[in-house]
Amino acid sequence: MAHSPVLSPKPNPPGAGSRITTMNPKAKALAILNHANQPPAPSTATTPGDGGTDLAEQMNDEVRRKFVSGARLGEGTYAVVYSGHYRHDPSRLVAIKKIKLNPEHKDGIAPDAIREIKHLSELSHPNIIQLHAIFSTKEQNISLVLEHLPLGDLEGLWKNQSISYSGADIKSWASMLAQAVWFCHENYVLHRDIKGNNLLIAADGTLKLADFGLARSFADPGRVMTSMVITRFYRPPELLLGCLHYGGTVDVWSMGVVLAELVLREWFLPADTDSQQLLVICDVFGTPTEETWPGVTKLRNAAILGVAKRPQPLSYWRQRFTLLGEDGIDLLRSMLIMDPAKRFSARKVLEHRYWTNAPRPTKKEDLPKQGGGLAKVGEDLKRRAGETDSGRGDKVARKLDFGSMR
Amino acid sequence: MSKPAPRATGSSTKDGGASFLSNSLHSLSIQHQFPSKPARSVPADSSSDICPVCKSSRYLNPNMKFLVNPECYHKMCESCVDRIFSHGPAPCPIAGCKRTLRKAKFRSQTFEDLKVEREVDIRRRVARVMNKVEADFESLKDFNDYLESVETTTWNLILKVDVEATERRLRLWEAAQKAETNSTKRSLVEDPSLLSETSHVILKKGGTQRKQQLGSTDDPLAGSGNDPETGFVFHGLKKRVAPEPEKPYDPYEGWSIDPQYYVVQDDYSVDWLTKAKDDPVHSVGGYDMRDFYSRALSDAFSGFGVFIEDEKTLEENPGATAAVASGGQDVNMDDVF
Repeated sequence: MAHSPVLSPKPNPPGAGSRITTMNPKAKALAILNHANQPPAPSTATTPGDGGTDLAEQMNDEVRRKFVSGARLGEGTYAVVYSGHYRHDPSRLVAIKKIKLNPEHKDGIAPDAIREIKHLSELSHPNIIQLHAIFSTKEQNISLVLEHLPLGDLEGLWKNQSISYSGADIKSWASMLAQAVWFCHENYVLHRDIKGNNLLIAADGTLKLADFGLARSFADPGRVMTSMVITRFYRPPELLLGCLHYGGTVDVWSMGVVLAELVLREWFLPADTDSQQLLVICDVFGTPTEETWPGVTKLRNAAILGVAKRPQPLSYWRQRFTLLGEDGIDLLRSMLIMDPAKRFSARKVLEHRYWTNAPRPTKKEDLPKQGGGLAKVGEDLKRRAGETDSGRGDKVARKLDFGSMR
Repeated sequence: MSKPAPRATGSSTKDGGASFLSNSLHSLSIQHQFPSKPARSVPADSSSDICPVCKSSRYLNPNMKFLVNPECYHKMCESCVDRIFSHGPAPCPIAGCKRTLRKAKFRSQTFEDLKVEREVDIRRRVARVMNKVEADFESLKDFNDYLESVETTTWNLILKVDVEATERRLRLWEAAQKAETNSTKRSLVEDPSLLSETSHVILKKGGTQRKQQLGSTDDPLAGSGNDPETGFVFHGLKKRVAPEPEKPYDPYEGWSIDPQYYVVQDDYSVDWLTKAKDDPVHSVGGYDMRDFYSRALSDAFSGFGVFIEDEKTLEENPGATAAVASGGQDVNMDDVF
């Protein structure tokens, strides 16, 4: 079982003529990184040169052999995700994220993968997805072994009309999100892509911040950062206006939008283009002026702002966000202040009275869940082994899935 | 015939049958019941389906339903109940029975034998008040003694022996139990940090009600120290342990990241920083120089407080790996997850 033919290390593929050296720089770099994370294996790694592979490759293989990858769970723009488990313990599930080969970066690791690896291996917090290991396969693909989070994401949760939740549940989710963001910022990491899609839910109901593909550490003064980050609905006004120096408050804005969506159960600030996004924001928060946001008129894209609009009154918030209560509305509005200097920092968010006042946040094991519950378990038990509930092709002879056996 | 519920025979011998005590008591009940009840308490025509009040029979009205009132267990038909008790409480129409009955209490009987019906009702009532389980006692013997006294109480009520005294003891016991649970609940609320604005509102609204509650709960609570007030005294009954009061919610869930080795100041006057500091391009986008200061200091001190030897021992026992992974930075955790 230890050496299945699929996973055995391949020497140079026949087509790759340019690679003559047996040493693969990518595998080596990863092996060093893995070495830092895990205790080295006792004997095999220390004996140099058996079978033509060098130490780094041996270490890489060793990590790789610890995991068994199974069914394909989904595919994104730059990675494919498989379910998997530890070879020695099939009950310990993992998700294996296999980074696709990026034609733009054939000679190295794609920057988003680097970002993800760099920051996830540094951050360890119950509300941030855990990176178990990294290995490379076939000398070119990098796979990240991540925590298995089976219960969907926060966006799916508010979109799922069959689930109902209360103000205390919202507070619990928001609290876990705020802790994750606070922890990132406290370790000088900007996430820069906070959205409902990237907030995954673990089997025990814990919310986990995932997808650090756009994360970076706080910039040094004078160093520019790109303003083309964060999914549009969640992008704060300073990025839309083209700021190149920003701080942790960009993540706080995204957090505020996520919280608002959770209450409304619909998009809070939907827009089709970047300039329209800015106008949508101004519709709610009013057009920023030099008084409310010093220096705003000198920003790169300030011309889009157009005619001055007045902010929505407090009654608008009270009417739409009744579920949050007075404290929650106050916090939400503090998280969504146009001027990033006045907006709450992640630490200030956690210090707000909303968290400690009634109602107390729901315990994570009592939170409503999707894709689970007794009904689903019952459905699963009713099905015969190997059968899917698609309905289509039910009469056709069942196909054996060897993919999951690997 | 009435077989005591299995719960009540807990004090019985291991063979599972009714205990000697309950058997003998039951035979007593059969002997006692007839003379103690009014002469026509068990109508002879119970199977002939004729209402003892209006004398209408099921033969003429197939939908006729008989109801009983747990006050006296006299059977009568539904239309009689409607007729007599619709306008409020009235005395039982059966001759010789003077009890006042209410319409709301009438129900159809579950058991054919009204003696059984009555016994089950009494048992249910006693079991609701005397609801200790084995875990509440220090030893099995104490628990069995308790069950014995429960059984005695039950049979006292069934056989109408010392009814008043028994009822009084039951009431006292119920009040004592209620006071005990209330006192644990109250201690939770009394925690000043948990007393939020909403509970103040309640306090104002139902002020009198609350005061009354406090007054009434105080008396049995004080009495629980003196034995006679609780109605019963059981040996080996464990003192009820109040559940640990829930701590106030900590938004940080026990995590804290504070520098141990340095103090970050709000401002540092360094020549090479003044340009960026005074540049409005930085401040307008929310770039915070303090983040840079604390990060620079954190980087400079990041190796402090890291002891490789300690981490190695930690790595060997895998429970505490979370602490190791973040050990590179100055993270202090109050509790390890």
